[in-house]
Amino acid sequence: MPTTKVNLETTDLSNYRYDMSRCIKCKGCYWVEHTYMPGVKFSTRCPSNVWNDFDSYGAFGKMRIGTALVEGKLDWTPKLLEIVYADPLCGACDVGCKRNLDLEIGLSLEAMRVKAVKDGAGPMPAHKKIAENIAATHNVFGSAHNDRKKWLTKDIQVAEKADVLYFVGCTASYTNNEIAQATAKILNATKTPFMLMPDEWCCGNTLQSVGMLDEARELAKRNIEMVKSTGAKTVLLSCAEGYRMWKVEYPKLLNIATADLPFTVVHLTEFADSALKQGSLRPTKPVNVRLTYHDSCSISRLADPWTPWSGERGWMGTVSPRLKRRRGTQGLYGQPRNVISSIPGVEFVEMIRARENAFCCGAGRGTKEAFPTLASSSAKHRLEEVKEIGAEVLVSACPWCKNNFAQAVKEDGNHVKVMDFSELVLASLDA
Amino acid sequence: MAIVKEAYKALEDVVGAAYLSDDPVICEGYRSGPAGYEAGLGYERVMTKIPGAVVMPKTTEEVQKIVKICNRYCVPYVPYSTGFYGPRSHCHMENELLVDLKRLNDFEFDEKHWYAVVGSGVVYSQFQEECLRRGGYVVIGGGGAQASVIANLIGDGWSPLSHRIGLPHRRILGTEMVLPDGEILRMGSLAVGDDWFWGDGIGPDLRGLLRGYTGLRGCLGIVTKMAVKVLPFQPERLQPKGISPNTALALPEKRVKWINYIMPSKETQVKAMYEIGKAEIAGAVTKVPLFWRAIAKAECKEEFWDIWLKETPETIANFHIVRVLLIGFTSEEQLEYDENVLNDIMMELGGQPRPTKPSDESWIKNADSAGMWLMCGSYVSVDYVIETLKQATEHGPVYAELKKKYTPPLMPDHGDPGWFQSFELGYQGYSEFLIYWDQDEDTTGVDHFYLETSKMNINHRFYTSLIGPHQPMYLTGPKYGPNYHEWMLKIKNEFDPLWTCHPPVPFAHDEFVERAPWMHELKTWETPKEFPYPQWVKERLAAEAATFRAGLKSEAKVKK
Repeated sequence: MPTTKVNLETTDLSNYRYDMSRCIKCKGCYWVEHTYMPGVKFSTRCPSNVWNDFDSYGAFGKMRIGTALVEGKLDWTPKLLEIVYADPLCGACDVGCKRNLDLEIGLSLEAMRVKAVKDGAGPMPAHKKIAENIAATHNVFGSAHNDRKKWLTKDIQVAEKADVLYFVGCTASYTNNEIAQATAKILNATKTPFMLMPDEWCCGNTLQSVGMLDEARELAKRNIEMVKSTGAKTVLLSCAEGYRMWKVEYPKLLNIATADLPFTVVHLTEFADSALKQGSLRPTKPVNVRLTYHDSCSISRLADPWTPWSGERGWMGTVSPRLKRRRGTQGLYGQPRNVISSIPGVEFVEMIRARENAFCCGAGRGTKEAFPTLASSSAKHRLEEVKEIGAEVLVSACPWCKNNFAQAVKEDGNHVKVMDFSELVLASLDA
Repeated sequence: MAIVKEAYKALEDVVGAAYLSDDPVICEGYRSGPAGYEAGLGYERVMTKIPGAVVMPKTTEEVQKIVKICNRYCVPYVPYSTGFYGPRSHCHMENELLVDLKRLNDFEFDEKHWYAVVGSGVVYSQFQEECLRRGGYVVIGGGGAQASVIANLIGDGWSPLSHRIGLPHRRILGTEMVLPDGEILRMGSLAVGDDWFWGDGIGPDLRGLLRGYTGLRGCLGIVTKMAVKVLPFQPERLQPKGISPNTALALPEKRVKWINYIMPSKETQVKAMYEIGKAEIAGAVTKVPLFWRAIAKAECKEEFWDIWLKETPETIANFHIVRVLLIGFTSEEQLEYDENVLNDIMMELGGQPRPTKPSDESWIKNADSAGMWLMCGSYVSVDYVIETLKQATEHGPVYAELKKKYTPPLMPDHGDPGWFQSFELGYQGYSEFLIYWDQDEDTTGVDHFYLETSKMNINHRFYTSLIGPHQPMYLTGPKYGPNYHEWMLKIKNEFDPLWTCHPPVPFAHDEFVERAPWMHELKTWETPKEFPYPQWVKERLAAEAATFRAGLKSEAKVKK
């Protein structure tokens, strides 16, 4: 039986030819998993295909388009670029497909973007601007690099040397200082010494997400080396996108396994959960609200660790050696819920679409910058769900989610309060 | 060449620019293949085209206007709800308009009269959840939870739950349909007023024309709304649990319970089904193909093959399972009573209960037909028979025998005789034969097998469902009827004199056999010199056939 050599490199779209050509239009990528289907309302989990109803905006359409791209049947046009980039790559399609099939939908979508960049068609102008900002100032906003640590207040204790290194990220450093401050104060409250990077640069999320892998790889190398030089054993993040970068994308970019990183990567939600279990986190101050939690994609269905793989595909499409597919099962689903539920006074109510079925806020991975209407409509769609369950507060664990929801709330005159997980936890701690 | 400019402009005026596109990238997203139900086979490669344009109406009135424009400009069109039903629900002609119905997603539940009116874009799991939360249920057809309720009900619409809940056409109540010329047809009690309740109305019952045995595959208009009967279930919630892919509905064990029995022989297996029906117990009684069990156990494709290749023709031939779903519709006591009766039956027949999980993964709400593609990448159900249990159980082995000749390219299934089960409390028996292959292989054998099954059905006098547009009409028509094909033609001409609605269905399979040289050796039946299409269809199809032949020639040259 003839076999084909194949690997998971997104630098070559033809690696995903099999996956793209086996999409059966079951639309498992689009619908909430049928076991959890809540009825005719809130029944979808694909922000792109809700934003634009044509099949081409769903993963099932994109797999056909990707196949045509590999076969050289389509040229890059503005419409094609829109279809490829108007997508937060939230992973809903990937876990949906892997409910029944073993197709690598998420990686196929990433590979289409890498091809767009390679062919000189991508990324979108807004992404190019971000790339310029990162090159010039090491942050996505183009803000002064010297201002990166301005979020630090006097009441926060930062160690010179510690096992835990808090990687703050561009957003918490520049636009959402409240998240960085809350995270640092939680670490202080739990008596966990932490240090910061001597010279923190952007994690490269946007670069990796839009297909600029060379640039993202350079940042990955640089950031990993810098952590190594500090001797930190744990890199802690309060940003979901940053968490995914460090845990999944850096190993992917460098062709190593997550387990090969010389440190562990944790998100604040899992740190808080284990601190709660160990007794160092004591949320004793009541927070009397009815609140709900939004699963940020990058700490949930996109968070399975990375393991490089290459092998052969043969009879009936089977691969050898055995490939352990990333199905989104190792996401941080329980941890934030454990912590939130432990806060006195909180009336926790689940979203209708939760965990791997959550509807993405629509902001991540370069979407908000290039397609603000998609990001805005997704957030508003999600806020309808918040309204439906009667929550007063919407908590997420990513600054991108927080900002996108907060903007949508402002535009709609909605009364929902949007908070980051770190702010909620801090509010539950006695001074 | 695209859709006539004037027609395009008129369509744009109906739906607005945001819901109409002829952009090649948008149209590419609506390609039938390369994978999917029946995809990757000759029919898909020869007969399907990328749409010339896609339109997404929101209302019945918009659908009417679209259809009228198509008639005015001779634009062929195909209704498309989810696109899951493979090549037969995709464009068959160049420059065809694909009418994507996903925006027709109205849903109204009448809690007093226990039915729901659904639009074409509503899928089964949505509908089932709306029913379950009100203490009712419907059958999610074998097509799966992601299938459009309407599309599935006018084509197939059965599952193991059909043991009790009845055949699909009985659940179709008042129905609103746009005929191929754009006129509205209201069926059942809807014909005489604003009442969806009755499926029967004045005059002849047109549900027979609408769906027949397995429907006309979109060549007779567009159903835009349908009232569907909802049946009472039981009041306790079935709770979803787990993280995908390991999810299931936890069953309230005193009200809903699956039990698997291993029977000593095929005879006792079938007898058990009869007896369960006779006792009027259970919500489902079924024997599914055994490789489905391996799919359920496997974490991935490779593990499936590890499990499945350990089986042998002997282990398969000697494994007789009966899977029973008990439902305490009225009370816990009812379930207890049903279980006692079932135990009596099984004790008499020597059936041994096997440990069965207190959950449902595949029939009540999820119906994950998508898992069918895990094993090989390609799948089609080549036939279904609804007749008697006796015939159902003879049907599968005959198929399995014919299949040997075509394995490979078909998947090695160790002679599994397919799926059979009780329908309507054992008054009817159901048999379905499913085939799997890898579309990257030479699929000529699969094309041949598909057609040969039709001849086999005729020889064995099986009353098969796929005598309609799924097989060559000039092969099956004279044998079932004896003028079934002529009736089909008359009906088509009566309702769609211009043949704008999804041409050349219902004669598309005839057309395929004519075009595909590898099918000619199987052609043992007579066809007219020219198929009886209107002139414009005839001319366009002839041109497309010529292009296809030229393509084959140049392909052959390249190979040389």
